Amino acid sequence: MSDTNGNRTTMTTRPGGSFIGSRAMPELVYHAPKTLPELMDLIKIHGPAARIVAGCTDVIPSIRTGRWRFDPGLHLVDITKINALNQIETHEDMLKIGAGVTLTRILTSPDVKGFCPVLARAVEQMASLQVRNTATMGGNLCMASPAADTAPPLLVSDATVILQDARGETTVPVADFFTGPGRSVMTPGQMMTHICIPKIKDQDSAAFLKIGTRTAVIISVVSAAVRIGMAGGVCESARIALGSVAPTPVRVTAAEQFLSGKPLDDQVVDACAGMAASAVSPITDLRASAGYRKDVAKTLVKRCLMACRKDLT
Amino acid sequence: MKIPLTFVLNNQETTLMIDPGQTLLEVLRGQGGMTSVHRSCEEGECGACTVLLDDEPVNACLVLAASVQGASVMTSEGLVKDGTPHPLMKAFTDELGIQCGFCTPGMLMNAYALIRKAGDTELTDAVIRKTLEGNLCRCTGYVNIVKSVKTAQKLKMAGEWW
Ligand SMILES: Cc1cc2nc3c(=O)[nH]c(=O)nc-3n(C[C@H](O)[C@H](O)[C@H](O)COP(=O)(O)OP(=O)(O)OC[C@H]3O[C@@H](n4cnc5c(N)ncnc54)[C@H](O)[C@@H]3O)c2cc1C
Ligand code: FES
Ligand code: FES
Repeated sequence: MSDTNGNRTTMTTRPGGSFIGSRAMPELVYHAPKTLPELMDLIKIHGPAARIVAGCTDVIPSIRTGRWRFDPGLHLVDITKINALNQIETHEDMLKIGAGVTLTRILTSPDVKGFCPVLARAVEQMASLQVRNTATMGGNLCMASPAADTAPPLLVSDATVILQDARGETTVPVADFFTGPGRSVMTPGQMMTHICIPKIKDQDSAAFLKIGTRTAVIISVVSAAVRIGMAGGVCESARIALGSVAPTPVRVTAAEQFLSGKPLDDQVVDACAGMAASAVSPITDLRASAGYRKDVAKTLVKRCLMACRKDLT
Repeated sequence: MKIPLTFVLNNQETTLMIDPGQTLLEVLRGQGGMTSVHRSCEEGECGACTVLLDDEPVNACLVLAASVQGASVMTSEGLVKDGTPHPLMKAFTDELGIQCGFCTPGMLMNAYALIRKAGDTELTDAVIRKTLEGNLCRCTGYVNIVKSVKTAQKLKMAGEWW
């Protein structure tokens, strides 16, 4: 690429002599604490100059494309070498996943399959093997993208996240975590340590579907997750969540309540999917128009409901 | 300020002086001299920079070099033994899974990890395609790449492998 004088404009030279076609990484100091107290100390010492990172699969592209800029003197604090954040544990009916656990480990964990199979189904459709081998669910949630694929399954599973800072720990339902595109309730200096998911009940079934502009390695144009519990032929509990159709991943409670006490026949499924789609306000962007997103939201909710119905009968 | 990075590169303990902001891709191609690790999108989209980090395929462009301290990294240079191409490479040339070659080193590393993990389970088209979904090829149309991986697995089962 060249400007009007024929000079190269997009290629820059960096220290170290390598030529790159995108923005250079800022000058930074890298820290890899081995324990949580060490990490909390680093955050205290470096204050706003410290940035917690995990797999870096969002951080590096955000810097490369110029979406994020950092002043020189950035301190990257990598949490992935901290043992306490790298575990998948089960406590009776609760699954506890460390913020540093990779998507590949979530996908291949028998405990995740047993406690929250819908999460495994979503993770399977995320990014590529190479990205899943380093990316974390903590990073996916902390980015707070409306398209975060782990959000809808966690929303329908009534999951919570544990946040920690110098003052201590707080637990926040995923349903209250996101506040806008790229924004969450997390305050500066706070980090996510764990994601907690209650075990799915035997009488429940859950499904996840996503649509993108191609079939693999793609950010969702719309994603949907549904969890249904049936008793005596009627719907006893329902959770419906959508991604990429609002400023944050959202639950559509009106559509959930509509199902209560009803059999899951075709008419009910159709009406419920319609209600879910009319409750959201998607935007038109590079990937799709608002109208298309509403149509797809309806279709995905319908297909998820039908998948749960099939599974439960 | 440069920092020393000590890691195992293609089975050899290696120490390189790096910038803490450098990605593994930049360090492998630059200080490491491993130019088979191709640079293209630098955003994790294409897979041309795929290397094995502790035996698992990752995009070198999305890994901070400083984070691989003490780890083991393998690039496709590491497949060559005493100047002889690896049977996996032979399968790719025999089955025409390579045309311009830009995607090939990344494909090889991902395929190498897949074949090793598969053990005696015969790889299906679906599994190969799912595994390689993060490696873009603009030449072959993928059919011959899938064939190459299958042929390579047969070579492994026949004992021609290292
Ligand atoms: C090619 C490609 C394909 C992708 N496909 C998908 C997809 O299909 N679906 C999808 O949802 N995403 C996708 N992504 C986005 C990304 O991979 C995920 O969001 C991933 O889960 C981010 O995790 P990470 O560990 O890499 O986060 P990082 O990049 O390390 O961090 C992301 C953000 O979270 C913060 N952060 C990370 N961990 C913590 C913590 N514990 N506490 C506080 N803050 C923290 C960081 O400061 C940063 O702001 C894709 C990315 C790429 C490059
Ligand atoms: S250069 Fe790393 S994935 Fe494209
Ligand atoms: S052989 Fe040319 S990109 Fe794959």
